[in-house]
Amino acid sequence: MARYILTRLLQAVFVLWAAFTVSFILLQALPGDEILIKFENPDLGLSKQQIADIRLAYGADVPLHQQYLFSLGRVLSGQLGNSIQRGVPVIDAIAANLPSTLRLTVLGFVTAASLALVIAFLATLTPFAFLRSLLRGLPSLFISLPVFWLGIVLIQVFSFQLKLIPVIGAGPWEGLVLPVLALAVPISAPLAQVLVRSIDEVETQGFVAVARAKGASRRWVLWRHVFRNAVPPTLTIGGVLFGELLAGAVVTETVFGLNGLGRLTEQAVNLQDAAILQAIVLIAALGFVLVNLSVDLVMPILDPRLRKAFGGAS
Amino acid sequence: MSIVQSPEGFATADQPSVSSERWRARLRRLRPGLVLAWATVAIAVAWATLPWLFTSYSPVDGVPRQRRLPPGALHWFGTDELGRDLYARVVHGAVHTLSGALISVAVGLAMGTLIGLIAGSVERRLDDAIMRVIDVMLAVPALLLSLSIIIILGFGTVNAAIAVGVASIASFARLARSEVVRVRRMDYVEAAFGSGGRFFAVLWRHVLPNSLTAVLALAALQFGHAVLAISTLGFLGYGAPPPTPEWGLLISEGRNYISTAWWLTVFPGLVVVAVVLAANRIGQSLVRRTL
Amino acid sequence: MSDGLRTPAPSRRAFLAGTASLATSVALGSGVGAVQAQGTAPVTGGRLVYLEQQAHTNLYPPAGGFYPNGGVLNQITDKLTYQNPKTLKIEPWLAESWSFNADRTEYVFKLRKGVTFSDGTPLDAAAVAKNFDVYGKGSKELRHPVSEVINNYAGSEVVDPLTVRFRFSKPSPGFLQGTSVIGSGIVSPATLDRRFDELGDATKIIGSGPFVVASEQLGRELVLAARKDYAWAPASSANQGRPYLDEIRYIVTGEDSVRIGALLAGQADVIRQVQAYDEAQVEKAGYRIYAPSTRGVNNSVVFRPDNPLVADIRVRRALLHATNAKEIVESLFSEHYPQATSVIASTAQGYVNLSDKLTFDPAKAQALLDEAGWKPGRNGVRQRGAQELALTAYESLPQPQNRATLQLIAQQWARVGVKLTVLAGDSGSRATDDLDPLKTPVSPAMVGRADPDVIKSQYHWENRDMLRQKPGRGKVNEFVDAKLNELLEAIAAEVNEEKRLDYVVQVQTYLLDQAYVIPIFEEPQAFAAAPYVQGLGFEAVGRPSFYNTWLAKR
Repeated sequence: MARYILTRLLQAVFVLWAAFTVSFILLQALPGDEILIKFENPDLGLSKQQIADIRLAYGADVPLHQQYLFSLGRVLSGQLGNSIQRGVPVIDAIAANLPSTLRLTVLGFVTAASLALVIAFLATLTPFAFLRSLLRGLPSLFISLPVFWLGIVLIQVFSFQLKLIPVIGAGPWEGLVLPVLALAVPISAPLAQVLVRSIDEVETQGFVAVARAKGASRRWVLWRHVFRNAVPPTLTIGGVLFGELLAGAVVTETVFGLNGLGRLTEQAVNLQDAAILQAIVLIAALGFVLVNLSVDLVMPILDPRLRKAFGGAS
Repeated sequence: MSIVQSPEGFATADQPSVSSERWRARLRRLRPGLVLAWATVAIAVAWATLPWLFTSYSPVDGVPRQRRLPPGALHWFGTDELGRDLYARVVHGAVHTLSGALISVAVGLAMGTLIGLIAGSVERRLDDAIMRVIDVMLAVPALLLSLSIIIILGFGTVNAAIAVGVASIASFARLARSEVVRVRRMDYVEAAFGSGGRFFAVLWRHVLPNSLTAVLALAALQFGHAVLAISTLGFLGYGAPPPTPEWGLLISEGRNYISTAWWLTVFPGLVVVAVVLAANRIGQSLVRRTL
Repeated sequence: MSDGLRTPAPSRRAFLAGTASLATSVALGSGVGAVQAQGTAPVTGGRLVYLEQQAHTNLYPPAGGFYPNGGVLNQITDKLTYQNPKTLKIEPWLAESWSFNADRTEYVFKLRKGVTFSDGTPLDAAAVAKNFDVYGKGSKELRHPVSEVINNYAGSEVVDPLTVRFRFSKPSPGFLQGTSVIGSGIVSPATLDRRFDELGDATKIIGSGPFVVASEQLGRELVLAARKDYAWAPASSANQGRPYLDEIRYIVTGEDSVRIGALLAGQADVIRQVQAYDEAQVEKAGYRIYAPSTRGVNNSVVFRPDNPLVADIRVRRALLHATNAKEIVESLFSEHYPQATSVIASTAQGYVNLSDKLTFDPAKAQALLDEAGWKPGRNGVRQRGAQELALTAYESLPQPQNRATLQLIAQQWARVGVKLTVLAGDSGSRATDDLDPLKTPVSPAMVGRADPDVIKSQYHWENRDMLRQKPGRGKVNEFVDAKLNELLEAIAAEVNEEKRLDYVVQVQTYLLDQAYVIPIFEEPQAFAAAPYVQGLGFEAVGRPSFYNTWLAKR
């Protein structure tokens, strides 16, 4: 067990280092660099000589391996540096954007999971067949909606036409209603599909019939067994989706004019803001590693079959 | 392409060898939703291949005097800010969006399956190494990866499609690997290896075909996802350059006018939803058959 | 590519420019003539929600040319002098009076008493000297760049606590006007002791302006609070005390449709960047459009003649006559965007009407192209030998509807057989390609500035170098236009104001005769405000000033 965890931790460190290196290589491959983008901008009206001086001051033209070692060393010493583009410490830029993205993402995921649960149970428990099949079709529709389009339509209808929910200058929670909804709807679809499938499987399995024969209500059986069977795959999907949610946040943030990690990433790539990008990559990789690690560690606890396999492996 | 060639119960429905009773039974089992899905995809493919059959307007050259006209008999979907017929732009845009989706699925499918096949077939340590590389791909934010690829390759639908495809390699590889591992454990494959079959021959003749069904089903689902991903990149400004009528770009450009010209956002959006819905519906029916 | 810097450059003498064609010319003064509800007195108090299109970047004052930066800096910093946006005259502000020597290599400013920065430290001669030392010379170790509007700066001297003297190595007649621009906003010495890399944090910018940065969510929201002890407005301002508003909330909202929707739904009070197509619904709802002119070089398309395709003057002239600016303005814009009649705006200094050189004449264009040897080829694109007459341009994101404008130009050029591909690239490719005329033979361009110098700044190779000449910063093989450069340098060097404006006229004529530039329209900065927003002011080139703004009863 200890050896297993140690191996996983080493692997996690490797993934972090490799992600950092990949991002460094990607940045080098992009045309131009951040000094060029920032200071060739005619807004500053700098002369050729002044720009040359600035490049020298920032060490923009030292050999690549030196730049790599420098930025790796900086990260290892726990410093994230300053963003040249924004003129703020990277840590401030992240601190300003991370909480809103996390809030959006966590709420989005929770809403998606609840929505999926509601759809799944209604789709199996609703009395009328046509209603059931209609509900079963909902996830397919949800997954087909472009988030940005959904967002635009939601804002126009609910905020500007019906004036129900403000999006600008609203309270921190009020303003999140529409973005969370836009984010949650497509995410809920695969979760709902997994749930519906597990419910179907459980219903056809022998032990359910036995349990029901023993007098358990259908509802009770469903709750007890579906959870057992549906939670592990939901968690797995959740682990993958969480990363996707962060990417999905960029669209929601753009449409709703929110700022967050998604937008920060998009702008940082566009402006080749190296310091910010490296920080984001490290955070995202850390998040990925942690989510996967916990899924791997939690799954055996939830699923007895896996527990056995796990025990055998270690 | 597998989607177009193997419609469930649809292409086979009118085969002459089927007796009329079985034919009727099949028809009864034929779900209207699925038929609708195939019809939608067929129209979209027709738009992409023969756009001039569907509209006589130019998708790029407009009449500025007739700008932002609401939908009507002359312009079914209305006109945009430069007086271009929106319906014509949607029809002519199909080829960009659909071929983009195909390219991205092809990239993900080919690269992912190859990596997964190798990882699942080689010895444990090499397998581990490959899967760690895949982990790294998953750990770098997909957005960063896609945008960087587009910036390096240059803006355009094909490049956006490649970027989306590359971002999907990891999930294809993971699935392909687990399928290969599953198939390898099957008795007859073990037997084929045991009876002295050459490694690659067994891989090619037994492992790959048996692993492929699940992967292809994922590909069908990935198609709808790719349409959305490409239009999302177009929306963020990383897709086709104007005046290409790519669907994401149409929504993206139309959204500025939403309060005065709703049709510019709503119609392309509905078309995207319809096509993705159809693709997913078909993909799911394939998944259900393979599981 | 070159928008954003709307900084008035040094001007020798105040110049009276008409503010014709603006629906809101009355609203153009931050102090003078601000709109007020009929006879009612301004109300003190309240919070204004202002939606900005882009987040500010670095708030080092000389970087105030970027529009969102200027919009913040204009509220939190004051300048030595005040350029009256109505008359363009230089008036006292932080400086009570000033004097200069005959050859203008020395300036002495006498400061107003009792002015303090928002951190309580006095705004005295030492602070002012430090500001201009940094703006004039830059700072290597703190990485502060030199200000574009201060030339030949030699040094400063604190004569007494309220008197400061500036010395220049060469005559610097433009310095007086240069002290009035947003890029010369005075900040506390402590602010300038910070590194350039730290000045993107608005809370670190300490000025003496009527508002103070109370809090900031980076890239998202900024709250400015009124300085209750503010008492040093320019004399021509109606308000002499604290600002009427208690608070301004800047919210960055990139989406055009969300800004306009939020305004009309009552979620915001003032928004920046209203597109022409939304003006009708704003006015229909009883809201008001403000479109102050940027008084500079018109929104245009420029050629990079180093590219062989457009090196031939006949090709450039053909494209000039193939461009239908009237159709562009009528299809995409409104009356706030007058069709261009010269290289610079009709409200700019030294303007001359050259509309007879800007005729739309497709037949002439076709003839010129035939003459230049470009024959109609396959796909309707003209060819010479194996070469196609196909050009590319990057869209400019900050210019209003630039993508639509370029697409319409592409449609117009296609009718005479010239292909124009409009690119939308990332910042890196854009910045790299823009330096290379082979990749960007055509480029959109505009710059706002209330001074004759603006035209020199836009086209001279030492400055913005929009045509990309050989000595400049581009990857240029041979193109250089000595005659143009001579004329441009004359604008900057000439002491006599009349002669100077005559050079401006000559440059406009020359640029159009050479067909280096195709002017399209005069670009305003468009704002929209709720009907109860009173006294919204704008400085000389259209940046908002909220000092005199107040909220009437809704």
